[in-house]
Amino acid sequence: MIIPPYLKAGDTIAITCPAGYMPAENAATCIETLLLEGYRVMAGETLGSASQNYFSGTDEERATEMQYYLDDKNIKAILCARGGYGMSRIIDRLDFKMFLKHPKWLIGFSDITVLHTHLYSRYKAVSLHAPMAAAFNNGGYSNEYIGSLLAALRGEKGNYHSAPHALNKTGIAKGKLIGGNLALLAHVTGTASDIKTKNCILFLEDIGEQLYNVDRMLYQLKRSGKLAHLAGLVIGGFTDMKDTEKPFGKDVYEIISEIIEEYDYPVCFGFPVSHETANVALKQGAKYKLSVNEGGANLKET
Amino acid sequence: MRAFSSVLTENKEENLPPKTPPYLRKGDRIGILSPAGNISAEDCRVAIKTMQEWGFSIKLGATIGKKDFTFGGTDEERRSDFQQMLDDGSVKAIMCARGGYGLLRIINQLNFKKFLQRPKWIIGFSDATVLHSHIARNFSIATIHSKMCNSFVDPAKAEPVQTETIDMIRKCLVGVKMKYEAPVNPFNKKGVAKGMLTGGNLKTLETLAGSTSDIITKNKILFVEDTGEYLYSIDRMFWNLQRSGKLSGLAGLIIGGFKIKPDDEGEEFGKSLQEIVLEKTAKYHYPVCFDFPVGHQKNNVALKCGVMHRLRVENNAVILEEI
Repeated sequence: MIIPPYLKAGDTIAITCPAGYMPAENAATCIETLLLEGYRVMAGETLGSASQNYFSGTDEERATEMQYYLDDKNIKAILCARGGYGMSRIIDRLDFKMFLKHPKWLIGFSDITVLHTHLYSRYKAVSLHAPMAAAFNNGGYSNEYIGSLLAALRGEKGNYHSAPHALNKTGIAKGKLIGGNLALLAHVTGTASDIKTKNCILFLEDIGEQLYNVDRMLYQLKRSGKLAHLAGLVIGGFTDMKDTEKPFGKDVYEIISEIIEEYDYPVCFGFPVSHETANVALKQGAKYKLSVNEGGANLKET
Repeated sequence: MRAFSSVLTENKEENLPPKTPPYLRKGDRIGILSPAGNISAEDCRVAIKTMQEWGFSIKLGATIGKKDFTFGGTDEERRSDFQQMLDDGSVKAIMCARGGYGLLRIINQLNFKKFLQRPKWIIGFSDATVLHSHIARNFSIATIHSKMCNSFVDPAKAEPVQTETIDMIRKCLVGVKMKYEAPVNPFNKKGVAKGMLTGGNLKTLETLAGSTSDIITKNKILFVEDTGEYLYSIDRMFWNLQRSGKLSGLAGLIIGGFKIKPDDEGEEFGKSLQEIVLEKTAKYHYPVCFDFPVGHQKNNVALKCGVMHRLRVENNAVILEEI
C-alpha cells in the first residue's frame, strides 16, 4: 500500500467540495484551525460557490478542481469539506497519474467513501476516513475527534477504544482496515470502485436509512461475498434510523448481529465512527489490530 | 449454519438457451404466496376470485395471512412456502401476493432443481425483481413482471386501466403475444431495438449488483421503475448501472414510472429524471423512451421478462411488442 507522506508545518492542505454545496462560512473554523496548526490552506471555488442547485458546482467544475489539487505536488492533503452526494458522478473522470507520483492524503467520509474505496482498490493508496469541515464548528475543533484527524496528519498512529456492548463478539483480528458508509459501499458494488474485503477489518456506519434498507444493504454485502472472510468487523454509529409504519421488529444492531451470526471473527458495536460528533480518523488501507474483550474494543494502528 | 455460495459467478445465462414455461390452460393452478411483506387472505380475495373466473384454480400458500413484523412470516416460513410452490408439480404459476422487502433474505436458500425440470411462471414486481433477475441470470427462464394480488380491484369498481392491466396478466399466462403502447415524450430517443426484455425496480437492481442474482443487460431491452426515491438517489443508482457496465451494451432502454420524493429544502437537485437518464446514455445510440406504463401505478402493464421483444420509439408512437 502507498502511504502518503505525513504533514509538516508549512505544508498546504486544499479544501474542496466534490459533492454537495457548502456555504464558505461553514468551513471558516476548519480553515482557522488548520492555519493555527501551522498549515497553509487553499480553498477551492467549489466552497461557497454560486451554484444554484444541490451540487457545489457542475460535474466539470468539481472534477476540474479535484484534478487540479491531485496534480499539484505542493498540496500535501485534500480535505473534502462535505459529503452529500456527487463523488460517483466524477470519480471516473479523475486521473490519478500525478497523485501516484506524489501521493497525498485524501480526507473525508460519507459520500467520500467512493473515493476511498476507489483509491484502495485501484491504486492501493491509503486515505483518511475522517471528520470534514462542518465537524470543526460549535466547538468541535477542540474535541478528540478533530484531534484524531490532526494527529493522523502529523503521522501519529491511531489507538481508539469503545465501550463494551452486549452484541460484541470477542477476539483479536489483524488486517487492513477498509469500509465507510454502508449505502455507498452497497452502491459501488459491481463498479470499478468496488472493494475486496477478504482478511480485512471492515468498518461500517450510516445515517437516516430505513431499517429494512439497512437489512437489504447488508444482505447485498453478504451476497456479494464481502462478509464471509473478514478478519474483523467494526460497527460504528447507525444514527437517525427510520422505521416503517409496521415496525421492522429489530433495532439496527440486532439486524447486523443476526446477519453475521454465522461468522466467528471479532465484532464490536458502537465504535466512534459516525455522522455524529464521535468520528475518529481511520486510515483506509492501513494495518490495524482489533481486540474485542469484556472491557470493550480497541482498534490500534500497527 | 447457512452456506452462502455467493460471490459473482460466471455468466451462466449466455450458455443457456432461453426457455419459456408452459402457458396455462383452463383448470391449471396458480399458487399465491407472500415472500416479502405480509398480506391478509382478505386482501387477496379479489385476486383469487378474478383468477378463478379466468378458469384457474388457486393454491393459497401458508404465508398468506402470516405476519412477522413487516414480513409475511419468518425467513424460514417464507422460504419453505416458496420452496413447496416451486416443487409442487400441479402449480403452473406462482404469484407473489405483494412486494415490500424480503426476497433478498431467502433467495439463496431456494432450491430451483424441480423448477428447472418443470419451469413455471413466476409473477410479481418491485421486491420480486430479485426473482426476475436471479432466474434470468442463472436459468434463462422467462418470468412475468406485473401487478400482484394487492393491485386487483373489484371489477364493479375498477377503472378501465385497472381492468385492462390486470387482464394482461391472464393474457401473458395463456400465451397471447403482447403489444404495448406508451405515450410520446419529447425527451425520447428514437430508434428500433430488438432484444430480450429484462429489468424491474431500480433500487432492487442496485441491491443485486455483485451478487449471484446480478442482472445481465447486454443486448437486451432494459426497463426500470421506482418509487419514493429522491432524485439524487435515482441519479446515484443510474451511476451504479453505468459504472457496472450495464448501460453500454443495451439494445434499448425503457424508463417506466418514477414516483419521485420531493427534494428537501435547500437540497434541490437541479436535474430532472429525463436529464439524469439522458446524460448517462448520451454516447449510446439505442432508443430510449420515458413514461412507459410500468411501475408503482395504476397503469402497470404485464411484461414477459426473458422473451424477445421489439421496441420502436418514433416521433408519433412508442410501441413495444413481443416477437
